[in-house]
Amino acid sequence: MADQTIIRFENVTKQYDQDPAVLNDVSFSIERGRFYTLLGPSGCGKTTILRLIAGFTEPTKGKIYFHGKVINDVPANKRQVNTVFQDYALFPHLNVFENVAFGLRIKGCKNDEINRKVLEALRFVNLVGYENREIKEMSGGQRQRVAIARAIVNEPEVILLDEPLSALDLKLRTEMQYELRELQRRLGITFVFVTHDQEEALAMSDEIFVLNEGNIQQSGTPTDIYDEPINRFVADFIGESNIVPGVMKEDYLVQCAGKNFDCVDGGFNSNEQVEIVIRPEDLQITSPDQGKLRIKVDSQLFRGVHYEICGYDQDGNEWLVHSTKKAKVGEEIGLYFDSEAIHVMRLGETEEEFDKRLEAYSEANHAD
Amino acid sequence: MQIRTRNLYLIPYLTWILLFVVAPILLIVYYSFFNVDGHFTLGNYQKFFTPVYLKMTLSSFWYALLITGISLLIAYPTAYWLTKTKHKQLWLLLIILPSWINLLLKAYAFLGIFGTYGPTNKLLESLGIGTQQILFTDFSFLFVSVYIFIPFMILPIYNALEEMNHSLLDAANDLGASQWTTFRRIIFPLTLDGVKSGCQAVFIPALSLFMITRLVAGNRVITLGTAIEQHFLVTQDWGMGATIAVFLIIAMAFIMMLTRKRK
Amino acid sequence: MKKKNGLGPKLYLAIVFVILYAPIFYLMVYSFSSGEKMYNFEGFTLKHYKEVLQDTRLLIIVLNTLVIALLSAALSTILGICGALAIYYVRNLRTQNALLTLNNVLIVSSDVVIGASFLILFTIVGVKLGFISVLLSHIAFSVPIVVLMVLPKLNEMSPTLIDAARDLGASRWDILSKVILPFITPGIFAGFFMALTYSLDDFAVTFFVTGNGFSTLSVEIYSRARQGISLSINALSTLIFFATMIMVIGYYFIAKRNQRGAGMGVGK
Repeated sequence: MADQTIIRFENVTKQYDQDPAVLNDVSFSIERGRFYTLLGPSGCGKTTILRLIAGFTEPTKGKIYFHGKVINDVPANKRQVNTVFQDYALFPHLNVFENVAFGLRIKGCKNDEINRKVLEALRFVNLVGYENREIKEMSGGQRQRVAIARAIVNEPEVILLDEPLSALDLKLRTEMQYELRELQRRLGITFVFVTHDQEEALAMSDEIFVLNEGNIQQSGTPTDIYDEPINRFVADFIGESNIVPGVMKEDYLVQCAGKNFDCVDGGFNSNEQVEIVIRPEDLQITSPDQGKLRIKVDSQLFRGVHYEICGYDQDGNEWLVHSTKKAKVGEEIGLYFDSEAIHVMRLGETEEEFDKRLEAYSEANHAD
Repeated sequence: MQIRTRNLYLIPYLTWILLFVVAPILLIVYYSFFNVDGHFTLGNYQKFFTPVYLKMTLSSFWYALLITGISLLIAYPTAYWLTKTKHKQLWLLLIILPSWINLLLKAYAFLGIFGTYGPTNKLLESLGIGTQQILFTDFSFLFVSVYIFIPFMILPIYNALEEMNHSLLDAANDLGASQWTTFRRIIFPLTLDGVKSGCQAVFIPALSLFMITRLVAGNRVITLGTAIEQHFLVTQDWGMGATIAVFLIIAMAFIMMLTRKRK
Repeated sequence: MKKKNGLGPKLYLAIVFVILYAPIFYLMVYSFSSGEKMYNFEGFTLKHYKEVLQDTRLLIIVLNTLVIALLSAALSTILGICGALAIYYVRNLRTQNALLTLNNVLIVSSDVVIGASFLILFTIVGVKLGFISVLLSHIAFSVPIVVLMVLPKLNEMSPTLIDAARDLGASRWDILSKVILPFITPGIFAGFFMALTYSLDDFAVTFFVTGNGFSTLSVEIYSRARQGISLSINALSTLIFFATMIMVIGYYFIAKRNQRGAGMGVGK
C-alpha cells in the first residue's frame, strides 16, 4: 500500500512575538480519505493548526509537509486545501453561484466547465435551484452548505472546517453532523474538522486529536479516547467522568476509596499513585450492601434520558452517576461496576509513554 | 509578504500626509517668526499679546461659543424629535439638503431678508415695533451663523440617538425612571459623543468664519478668521497672519482633545 | 411610548424646517422678480436667467468649478482608498491611531488656516496660483473624508473574507479587485460624493489659493455679493439648487442600489 500521508507536521511551533507559544512542538500526520477532528477548549491551538495547514500563517519553528514536500513558504492561494470558515466568509456581493464559482474563475476555467462543476457541487450539498439567490437570502444552514460547496468544487485533497457548525441551532447542528460525515464518505477526501464540542467530535470522526495549551494531549479513534483517556484533562474534556485518586497495588489491582478493585490495566510500579476514571454511565445503582461502593446521594437532576445523581463516598470523593433509576436525596445507595469500567491513568504520562506501556503489558499478556 | 502590501498603499498616503498635513503646519509655524520684510522676529507674538489682538481673540471665542451653544440648544430637540417621526430618513435628508447649498448663497439670501425693506422689517413694522437695523449687527451675524451650522449639529446628535440601544430606555422605564430622569441619566450621557462631535463641527469653523462676517456683519464682528484673511490677502503681512493661525491651530488641537471620543 | 408625539414637537420641527428653507425659497422667488432688489416682488420675468445664460464668463466659471470638483473627487477617492487600505493593513494599533489623527487634522482644521497654509506651501514650492493650485488643494482636503467613508466599510468586512479568497487561490490583485473593492463600493461612492460636495461647497480655501485669472463659482458669488444685491445671483442660485437636488436624488438612488447589491451589513 502506498503512503497515504498527505500532511505531516514535524515539531511545529507557533509563537506570536513574546507571548507563550500557541502551538508547542507539535508533530502528527494526516492521511488520505479520513475524517479528522481537532478537539479542545478555546485557545488550545486547534484553529492555529488549521491556519497553518491552510497557509494563513507560517510556523515559527518546524516543518509542514504536503505530499512529502515542505510547504512552509507556500502561500495560501497556492495550496491544494480549501477551508470552510466558522462565519462561512461567503462573499456578500456575489450570489450563490458566483460564490461557488469563485475559485474556478480565479483558476481561469472555461465557462461551461464552471457551470458543470458548480452545479455538481451544489447538487452534492442539496442546493440545486438556489444558484441565483443572494447570500443574505439564505438561512444559516444553507449558507453553511454554500460554504462547503465553494470548498469542494475546487476538488482539494483536504478540506478544513473551522467550527462550521457552531453558529447553527442544536437540531440543525445534529442534522449537519450526519450530512458532513456522509459527504466526506461520498467524496472520499480528507476532512480536518475543528471543534470544541466533544459530542460532535465523537460522533463524526475517524480520528480525534485532543489539544490543550498548544499540545496534542492524545490522538486516536473516538472509542479509544473515550475509553482510555490518558490524563485528567482528556478524561474531563471528553464526556463526563469520575476521576478519583488511587494506588496501583499490582497489575490489574487498584485501590481506591479504601477498597481494592480488579481492573484491566497493568504495567505500573507497585504502590504507584494513580488516578482512576469511571464513566458515570458505567455505574449502576444497587442496594447499599450489594454495591462495590457506597455513596450518599447529595443531589439529583432529571436529564431526560437519565437521572444525574451526585453523591459522596465516606472518603469524600464525589461520584456522578447516570442512571435510568431514580434515587432519593440523602439516601445511601450502592454502586456496582464491571472491572472493565475502571480505567487507570498514570500521573503525567505522555501519549507516547502510554502507547509503549500499553504495548508492553499486552505483549506480556500474550506471553502468558 | 504582508509588509510589502502594506508599504505599497502607504506610499501615496504618506506622501499626501507629508505634503498637505505636516508641511503646511510647519510652514505656518515657520512664517510666524518673520515680519513683513522677511526678517526673523518674535515681534508677531509680542503683537498678538497686545490688547487689540487679545480682545479680538476673546470676542472671537465668545461668538463661537454663542453660536455653538445656540446651535446645540436648537439642534438637540430637533434631532431628538426627528428620530421619533415616521419617515425619519426622509426628514433627515431634508435637514441635510440645505447644507448642500453653498453657504455664501444662504448668507446672501439674508441680505434681502434682513434688509431695511426686507420681510423681517415688514413684519416688525406690522407688529408696531418699527424698522430696525438688522443687517450688519451682532444679531444678524449670530442668526446667519447658527442657520448655517445647524445641520452639522443635528446630524451627529441624530446618529448618536439612533445608535443608542432602545432596550436601554425600556430598562430605565422598567426600573422606574421618569421620562426626564431617563433623558438626563441615560439618553443624554449616551449621546454625549454625538454632542461632542457636533460641537467640534460647529465651534472650530465658527472661530474662523470670515465670509459671513464680511457679508452680513459688515466689519462689525472681527473674528480670528477675518484677521487671518486680512493679513494674508489684504495687508500681505503673512508673518502676523501665520501667528494668528498658530494660535488657531493650538485652539483646534485643544478642542480636539476636549471632544475626543471615549473609546 | 414611542408613538406619543404631541403637537409641541411637531410644531417645533415645523418651525425649524420653515426657517431652514425660507431663505432658499426667498432667494429663488426673487430670481423671477422683474425688479432689481430683493424686496417688493415686482412681477414675473425670466430676464435674470437670460442674463446668467448669456454671461460667458460665468459659464466658464461654472465649467471650471465642475471640472475641479469632478477631477478632485476622482483623484481624492483613489488616494483616499489607498489611505484607508494603508490604515487597514497597519496592524499596529498605535500606528493606526497616529495615522488616523493625522488624517483628521484637515477635517477639523478651519478652512482659513488650511487656505493660508496652502497659500504659503504653493508659493514656496513655486506652484502658480490658479487651476493647479486649486485642484491640488481640493484633492488635499477631500482625501481624509474619503478615508473616513471607506475605512468603516473595510473594518466591517470580516477578515475571513480575505482568507477565504486566498484559500480559493486568489492573488493579491484578485483579492483587491474581486473581494475588497466590491465590498467597500458603497463607502467609495459615499466618499466620492462627499469629496464632490466638499469641492463644490468650498469657498475659503479656494479664495486663498486661487490667483487672479482663475475663479470658482463660490469665489465669484462672494465677490459679486460683496458688491451688493444682483438678482442674477438669485437666478444662478436657483439653478444651483436644482442641480444639487438632482445630484442628491441621483446619489440617493445609487446608494440605494448599492445597498441592495452589496447585501449584508450595509446597514439601515
